Amino acid sequence: MQEKKVEAQNILSMNSVEVLYDNVMLAIKGVSVQVPTGGMIALLGSNGAGKSTTLKAISGLLKAERGRISRGEITFQGADITEALAQKRVEMGICHVIEGRRVFEHLTPDENLTAAAPHGMSRSTLNAEKDKIYGYFPRLAERKNSQAGYLSGGEQQMLAIGRALVTQPKLLMLDEPSLGLAPFLVEEIFGILQKINKDEGLSVLLVEQNALAALEIVSQGYLIENGRVVMHGTAEALKSNSDIQEFYLGGGETDFHNVKHYSRRKRWLS
Amino acid sequence: MDWVFLSELAINGALTGLLYSLFAIGLVLIYKASSVPNLAQGGLTMVGAYVVLALARDVGLPLWLAIPLAAVVMFGLGFGIERVALRRLAGRPVVMILMLTLGLDIFLRGTTLAIWGGTSRSMELGVSYDPLFLGDIFISRIHLVGAGVALVLFVAFMLFFRTRTGIKLRAIADDYMASWSVGISVERGVGFSWALASVVAVAAGVIWGEIQGVDQALSLLLLKGLTVAVLGGLDSILGAVIAGIILGVVENVGADFLDPLVGGGSRELIVAAVLILTVMIRPHGLFGRHDIERV
Repeated sequence: MQEKKVEAQNILSMNSVEVLYDNVMLAIKGVSVQVPTGGMIALLGSNGAGKSTTLKAISGLLKAERGRISRGEITFQGADITEALAQKRVEMGICHVIEGRRVFEHLTPDENLTAAAPHGMSRSTLNAEKDKIYGYFPRLAERKNSQAGYLSGGEQQMLAIGRALVTQPKLLMLDEPSLGLAPFLVEEIFGILQKINKDEGLSVLLVEQNALAALEIVSQGYLIENGRVVMHGTAEALKSNSDIQEFYLGGGETDFHNVKHYSRRKRWLS
Repeated sequence: MDWVFLSELAINGALTGLLYSLFAIGLVLIYKASSVPNLAQGGLTMVGAYVVLALARDVGLPLWLAIPLAAVVMFGLGFGIERVALRRLAGRPVVMILMLTLGLDIFLRGTTLAIWGGTSRSMELGVSYDPLFLGDIFISRIHLVGAGVALVLFVAFMLFFRTRTGIKLRAIADDYMASWSVGISVERGVGFSWALASVVAVAAGVIWGEIQGVDQALSLLLLKGLTVAVLGGLDSILGAVIAGIILGVVENVGADFLDPLVGGGSRELIVAAVLILTVMIRPHGLFGRHDIERV
């Protein structure tokens, strides 16, 4: 009974998922992540910890990199999507803003948005979606007919998010949206994400190395290391955790002694 | 200097050039949607011509029916090629896909040889051979018809790439991964571009088949078509049209000057020089997209 209720509250549930690349390299080793409906969750961790792989497992983009889920299952709104095609998952409402922005450089921002329109979306709905996105990101509206490749980094990130919103997602996943952006831009973009989350009830799964900024806007976070979840808690708990402070928030002392101390206390959660 | 003769050379060169463009548009379509130069476009053009002949002569259909029907068959073939061969290679290095298209070209040539043999078959479109005079200038009617077809296709595809489907195809050419991430079916998009290019191949195959007969030599059009596409910028349809005209004029006029000096055969030299110089001096061609590097 209790379990059923939890299931209904989570838009996405990922249970002990293992991912292999090229059938040999184990990229994540049994990761479990739950995203509550309408919630904002962060996956934190250092480079190569398995955060991006986790997102790709959820969006189905693993296949493009010759990866596959070898164990575990992923359910979205109660439906098993472990084997579904990436395109199908976008139709169901999962959209993945991949790392490095990756806008369609030779298209205009307006065409970038058009390109993401779901099959069968009417022209008027598409225009309404575009207007809404230009409302969130007024800078894009100003430059909507220039070439997307010449936008600034911040504008490209906004465009990448806008492009994902055109697919009318229920769960938006972002991979390192703050990468290479000035702090004030990160703040602006995260503020808009928060607003969209509130206004539209869009669930958000955010992957970040910039733990400080991420923990400001999410309610819960997972810490991933070496392909495993090593910590899970509310944003407040994580912010006040001394290990997190030391290694991800850049406070405290970081000498060799502490590193050893930290790894001894680390525990596997799943 | 004989100006009438020179303008006759130039005008007929431009018309022939537009026929190269007709071929090159097929190359551009595929490049624009998948960033792959299709070395099998010559083979497709040849097969397009053979299919028209098979329907018109062997089945006995009238030409006005055989040509659209061949276009439908070739549309299916284009889709089939993606489904059977290219899909496995999505995301692999372009050079592997390039080799695949080369293999495909050889395969198509071999197939037509096996089915229809190597003797040239004639394609009779019923376009009169009577000379057409524009003032004192002689113009070939079939070239004029072909140039018209090229221009119609040019306008049609310019408009197509502004539609939603066209924009999605351009998005795929830009970034496969990003396309997948927003739910664009890259596989279907690439298949569609091959299907369209195969339809263009029918048009090019019919016109060129009428001019030089239908045999395996039709696939060698690839060399001139590729030169035009590269000069135009590989992903620009406008570029293919303008580059076609340029190459046609330069080839026709240039050969008239050079042939007496070298004793003939300078056409091929001119085409080769244009291709090599383009790649060396202006690798993006006249209208090609540049890879964007922001500072």
